[in-house]
Amino acid sequence: MKWLWVAVTVISGTIGDVLCARGMAMHGELDDFRPKGIARILRYIVTHKIVLAGIAGDAISFFSFLALLSVTELNFAVPATALSYVFKTALARWYLREHVSWGRWAGALLVAFGIVLVSL
Amino acid sequence: MSSTLIQRRPAKATVKNRVFIALVVISNTLGTVLLGRGMTQMPDFAAGALTYIVRFLINPWIVPGIALLVVWMVAQLSMLTWADLSYVLPVTASYYILTAIVSRFFLDERISLTRWIGIAVISFGVMLVSHTPPRTHELPEGLLE
Repeated sequence: MKWLWVAVTVISGTIGDVLCARGMAMHGELDDFRPKGIARILRYIVTHKIVLAGIAGDAISFFSFLALLSVTELNFAVPATALSYVFKTALARWYLREHVSWGRWAGALLVAFGIVLVSL
Repeated sequence: MSSTLIQRRPAKATVKNRVFIALVVISNTLGTVLLGRGMTQMPDFAAGALTYIVRFLINPWIVPGIALLVVWMVAQLSMLTWADLSYVLPVTASYYILTAIVSRFFLDERISLTRWIGIAVISFGVMLVSHTPPRTHELPEGLLE
């Protein structure tokens, strides 16, 4: 059962983050931080279909992580789901077409490995 | 995909970028700490849904905690308008470092050697990624609204 929750957490979180990135990139660089500009970006977030789908994915990931915590300990749940950093970087490369240099790959792997160590 | 344009002059790490990294990391850490603290004071859900909801809404830690997590989400989404996902995720993972510092120096928790090594490894990963340009690609023309 616990591996099912790990899979749901990782897969929905990965899809959620990737969709958020795609939807927000379509907005173009945010530069207006006056109240009007902030209101505009908030409206964009709550009305853009891809961003909303991304937030839904992240929400599913969050609640399935809570479900995972109800059947295991933090020191299993955190390292088991740390792998999502690697999946997200891979999808950023293959789906979002970002140029993931060796520095970024190494960084993502080190962060995932570090999270495993921190939670042991 | 040939329609993907490679930006020749990568965007520099601007002041705005640094401010948002700090905002994302601090709001996530504080929001999680406040929410975690509030949740320990909650009654068992089985005690009754109405009691639970009322206690949830009047708890002095939970509501500010959730507000900070909303700030975190909006700040992270805003960063994604000018930075890559493969940049934002590792860089904002410095949240794990801040949480360790807060728990060591403000909550007086002991941190094992393994955890210190993990924190050092994360810091090194964050450093590597933060030296790459935030944005490495442009969206294909057709995707811009």
